[in-house]
Amino acid sequence: MKQILSFTLNGEQVDLVVKPTETLLDVLRERLNFTGMKRGCDDGDCGTCTVLINGEPVRSCLTLALTAAGKDVVTIEGVAKDGKLHPIQKAFMDNGAVQCGFCTPAMVLVAKALLDKNPHPTRHDVVYYMSGNLCRCGCYDEIVDAVLAVANGKVKEA
Amino acid sequence: MQDVSYFAPTEVSQAVKLLAEHGKKATVLAGGTDVMPKINYYELKPEVLVYIGGLGLDYIKAEGGQLVIGAGTPIAKLLESDLVAKQAPSLVEAARQHSSVAIRSVGTIGGNVAHASPAADLVYPLMAMDAKLKLVSAKGERLVAIEAFFTGPGETILGADELLTEIQIPAAKGKAVYGKLGKRKAQACSIVIVGVRLELDGKVCRAARVALGSMAPTPLRCAKAEALLVGKTVDAALVAQAAAAAVGESSPIDDVRATAWYRRKAGTALVARALAQAAGL
Repeated sequence: MKQILSFTLNGEQVDLVVKPTETLLDVLRERLNFTGMKRGCDDGDCGTCTVLINGEPVRSCLTLALTAAGKDVVTIEGVAKDGKLHPIQKAFMDNGAVQCGFCTPAMVLVAKALLDKNPHPTRHDVVYYMSGNLCRCGCYDEIVDAVLAVANGKVKEA
Repeated sequence: MQDVSYFAPTEVSQAVKLLAEHGKKATVLAGGTDVMPKINYYELKPEVLVYIGGLGLDYIKAEGGQLVIGAGTPIAKLLESDLVAKQAPSLVEAARQHSSVAIRSVGTIGGNVAHASPAADLVYPLMAMDAKLKLVSAKGERLVAIEAFFTGPGETILGADELLTEIQIPAAKGKAVYGKLGKRKAQACSIVIVGVRLELDGKVCRAARVALGSMAPTPLRCAKAEALLVGKTVDAALVAQAAAAAVGESSPIDDVRATAWYRRKAGTALVARALAQAAGL
């Protein structure tokens, strides 16, 4: 029983027909070709598929696409504006917070959610908020440094 | 593949009507954080999906001294509520240690209870605080004590036509404490969890609750440990005795997270620590 799904993706209205068991990650990657968000574990543990739904970090692999109806979804593709990187993206580059890059899109989104709520987090706040996102390269210190650099206004215009 | 139906009712009455119609074929889904891994790994092949995120069960309120929480309340909201912080600080602590931000943002308190995992973080403070669960069906509703809800791993008294809609927590009495041991601090499924509450008259215990998790097929109320505490002066020796009694009532197993031997050792320490904290020792 296919159904019509309508939601907002990076500020644009999207309408498509989906199967009830398709996840939001399936729809983003396989149907809409938004491949920025990664499929890691499909189990909610690794965090690489994390998108923002109505501003909150949510695992897109654990989200039935149909439950996103009417909601506002942001992926990494919606973070840079007019060809200019978001300060968090710039800070990740400046601080060497990227090695293989697989965890990076979700790390940037979760950092954005944190800074949108709490523009001046402590190091502990950052670690606690981002502890659900795994980096197998082990760039954790650099990732936290990057987020704090943005919070402390140390990032020059991207 | 079999055709799957999806429903997103907007009223509890519509939801329970769907459950009455589809019975065991229906899979209820709120935040989806427990259901979706099973679907992704083909452990669950749903026939009828009933999404209850639109039922308006996302609320926290005070009602006649009770703290009343809608089953659809995301775990993250427990961390933001002044009312929960005031009336149930041990529940806040459990929520704080629960999973990770992207799970707490959509995973619900009702889902954590109804999924009936012996490792469910929020169950133990709720048991220590004598929480009651409101179960609604098309035929009516009933209110059950949380410790009577669980019948096995993933199994409860909830009928196929029933929905858990609300959690009611009596006005706080005494001091409740939550403790958890996982393999790491973040995003860890527990090796042992404990929720305790002590009502003291001076140093004499008037009422005690000891709930132990990941130590038996269901969340466990440790009646012997509780009986040992009531009527006595709470000191370090009594705390140690009660902790040993509590673990004696459990039946832990070896699994991927820890051995039964380790669970008993760690559980004894965790219960003793929680009781000492609740007694102000």
